[in-house]
Amino acid sequence: MRVMVLVKASKDSEAGVMPDPDVFAKMGAYNEELIKAGILLAAEGLQPTSKGLRMRFSGSERAITDGPFAETKELLAGFWLWQVKSFDEAVEWLKRAPFDGGTEIELRPVFEMEDFGDMVTPERRERKDNLRAAFEKHSG
Amino acid sequence: MRFMVMVKATKDSEAGAPPSRELLEAMMAYNEELVKAGIMKGGDGLQPSSKGARVQFDGAKRAVVDGPFAETKELVAGYWLWECASLDEAIAWVKRCPNPMPGPSEIEIRPLFELADFGEIVTPETAAQWDRLKAESESQG
Repeated sequence: MRVMVLVKASKDSEAGVMPDPDVFAKMGAYNEELIKAGILLAAEGLQPTSKGLRMRFSGSERAITDGPFAETKELLAGFWLWQVKSFDEAVEWLKRAPFDGGTEIELRPVFEMEDFGDMVTPERRERKDNLRAAFEKHSG
Repeated sequence: MRFMVMVKATKDSEAGAPPSRELLEAMMAYNEELVKAGIMKGGDGLQPSSKGARVQFDGAKRAVVDGPFAETKELVAGYWLWECASLDEAIAWVKRCPNPMPGPSEIEIRPLFELADFGEIVTPETAAQWDRLKAESESQG
């Protein structure tokens, strides 16, 4: 199964403070371990919400609100995408991550095609496979 | 520039309500457009927070809190990763997105950090490690 690991924002991440070089190096070593274990599918950091925006959808209306956004501890600062055998395996790997006090990380299983059950017709599955192959070719 | 485009949760997504066939079709068509335009680099839907957990870090302590989590509109229900020429291009594409939820909903657009953004703390060793990570995670994906 795939699990998304969501790293929440902090005052520092929202202020655009660069990580301490020591923390940066520790995180690099942790990423190496994830790669060696065959778990890591993706890892990205997000720029502060002051660089982003939100778009509200209501009927055909689209309303834009520019960042920054206030509710710091609910905002996202980065994420990993992991391939694991079970949710428990993801929790165990996360416990080993080199984070400081006060940090909270959220783990969420990702939907796979099978989870949509009857709605997935053979035609839809084929389209989805074609889509995946196409964007893998683009991003390759 | 690369962007993360996040679909925020709603009561429906948190309740695990499956999308309607119409919405599924509209999203498929939209995703195909994104692929054809060379913008789409990845994307997934997340299961409701009731299926997830949070880990709180404090010194050497690790506390696990099981979902669901209360602040629905701050939760993430799904995301895409896009490569666009500018933030304006990303905005224009989000405007064309079918409303991802049955009722009112919100999508957040956030530029991603590139290695160059970290400046001097990136040693040549870290840069080499990062390249390796990208190459290996792409081959695993």
